[in-house]
Amino acid sequence: MVSTIQNTDVKQKEADRAVVVAVTSRAVFDCGADDGDEVCEVGVAFPLLQALQRVNERLLEENPSESLLFDVVLITSDSQQQQQSSRIISNTRHHGLEISRFCFSSEEDFTESLLKNNVHLFLTTDRDEAAQASQKGVFSALLNGKVASSEQLRVVFCGDAVIRTDTEPPSASQDAAQSFWAQLGEMRRRFGMLDSPLSLVLLTSRGGRESCGTALQTLRSRGVNMDEAYSLAGAPQSPILSLLRPHFLLINHLQD
Amino acid sequence: MSEIKLTESAPTEDNGEEKDWAAAKAHFDNLKTKIPRPPKPRYAVTIAVSSRTLFNMVKERKVYEDEGLEKYVAYQMEHESEPLMPGVAFPFVQALMNVNSRLRQLYPDSEELFDIVLMTNNHAQVGVRLINSINHYDLTIERFCMTGGESPIGYLKAYMTNLYLSKNSDKVMEAIEEGIAAATMFAVDTDNELSKTQLRVAFDGDAVLFSDESEIIVKQHGLDTFFDHEKEFVNKPLAQGPLKCFLEALGKLQRKFIAKNERLNCPIRTFLVTARSAASCGARVLKTLRSWGLEIDEALFLAGAPKGPLLEKIKPHIFFDDQMFHIEGAQQMGTISAHVPYGIGQKYHKGKLIEQPPKKE
Repeated sequence: MVSTIQNTDVKQKEADRAVVVAVTSRAVFDCGADDGDEVCEVGVAFPLLQALQRVNERLLEENPSESLLFDVVLITSDSQQQQQSSRIISNTRHHGLEISRFCFSSEEDFTESLLKNNVHLFLTTDRDEAAQASQKGVFSALLNGKVASSEQLRVVFCGDAVIRTDTEPPSASQDAAQSFWAQLGEMRRRFGMLDSPLSLVLLTSRGGRESCGTALQTLRSRGVNMDEAYSLAGAPQSPILSLLRPHFLLINHLQD
Repeated sequence: MSEIKLTESAPTEDNGEEKDWAAAKAHFDNLKTKIPRPPKPRYAVTIAVSSRTLFNMVKERKVYEDEGLEKYVAYQMEHESEPLMPGVAFPFVQALMNVNSRLRQLYPDSEELFDIVLMTNNHAQVGVRLINSINHYDLTIERFCMTGGESPIGYLKAYMTNLYLSKNSDKVMEAIEEGIAAATMFAVDTDNELSKTQLRVAFDGDAVLFSDESEIIVKQHGLDTFFDHEKEFVNKPLAQGPLKCFLEALGKLQRKFIAKNERLNCPIRTFLVTARSAASCGARVLKTLRSWGLEIDEALFLAGAPKGPLLEKIKPHIFFDDQMFHIEGAQQMGTISAHVPYGIGQKYHKGKLIEQPPKKE
């Protein structure tokens, strides 16, 4: 059973142009005890939503009739949170979050709500949820709990497998990934080099400059111009990742 | 085939590191064209070079300064397939690569090698031209950071950098403040024939290898007081300066050649070029080095004579000094020089106190 509630405080985005990002409510609000109107603590995805909102604001500044915007949808699938639907909605209002729709479903059906809402990217802190969504062809990523919030939306793409994608027919999820990237690339082009509200970062961890260079050019040919590039060639990833401060990390591995 | 992967926050640092390393090793071992695999950062001597020290980007820099960032990036992209000309750190990098080949011959499985990293705040789209240029000269540079405008200082630490070379003195000062050996390089017009078989590195002593404690005495109390002081404290080791650890790293690699009976044929040679005189204040310097367990191949005491002519004979791939006066003297005679912005020497020029501009916030 899946139900969707529109947030009437927020202007709905154009369905076929918006970049729909779904986030689990568990990641946005940390609702502890079950008091009726209690304000919840913010969760790990909160800085991300704020950054997405800033991108939208800037896009509309550049062009008030812009339709390529982030469309944020909140997914609530665990029964505990279901009972707190009114709390979730009131907290959204309280924190001023630009969430357009609230989707409630059972744990088994949540992928259905993703598909119904034409979700382009699904973010969660739960690895199994991400895997399930992925299997249904929805591009998914895990939220990095250790992110320091930054004004700018920082998207890090681990590009080790960009080249190899071309040797096999792409899966539904890979297609979803590519189209998400193309949308991001188009969004990025709305802004100049300096003072952009989003930054696209390429990280190659295994290969050397050849891998990174090829990835840069391949992405460019798909309309995605990276701002930053890091080639690790086996150097430890975690110190670099903590400096990069990604809001989310998109990894495309063909093999483990 | 998995589409998503958890960022390794749960396992210990070592486990994550080992996995990253093993995956990279597999990648390089499986490449069709055998390029040397970059060493493990914790064992390597990591040298970070900026794009403007590695390549000559004077023309491009002018576009940036006259026409702004967007035009500059567009210019670089237009000229992407044209390799850039070698820059001031280029001979140094080639000499490092030569040492690596010799080390790989003697120690095929060792990770104790030079690791050259490109550290630039250029935009990633400019990076394509940088990568093409590195390809053109076949340089073994596999690691890089193109920060798109952010300061590279944090990344220097993340890559465990042993030496950072840049044209930007602010970045160099920041690095030194963070405890990373660093120096600002200057363009030099030279046809000096540098050795292709031996890496030659020259260091000034005070405020480079050693702290500036003695230089403070000279500047504030004069030479006579300085000589007396040095005689009195001859057996007290000087405190270390910003480039001491780099000399130490070079020494570690030198010993690997000595261990294989290659002392006479060692592809690394170090020089101390100091304004001190051997008789009155030289002993303390040598004793300090000895107390640190460090060796320097040649120690040259100039007793105040200009460094230029001597350096012209030595022909180092790089010469480190803290005083611009010496840097300029060396440059005039064709030596590739790198300024270490450390210590009291920064406040003086040719012995006179400089008016300090208010510190930039």
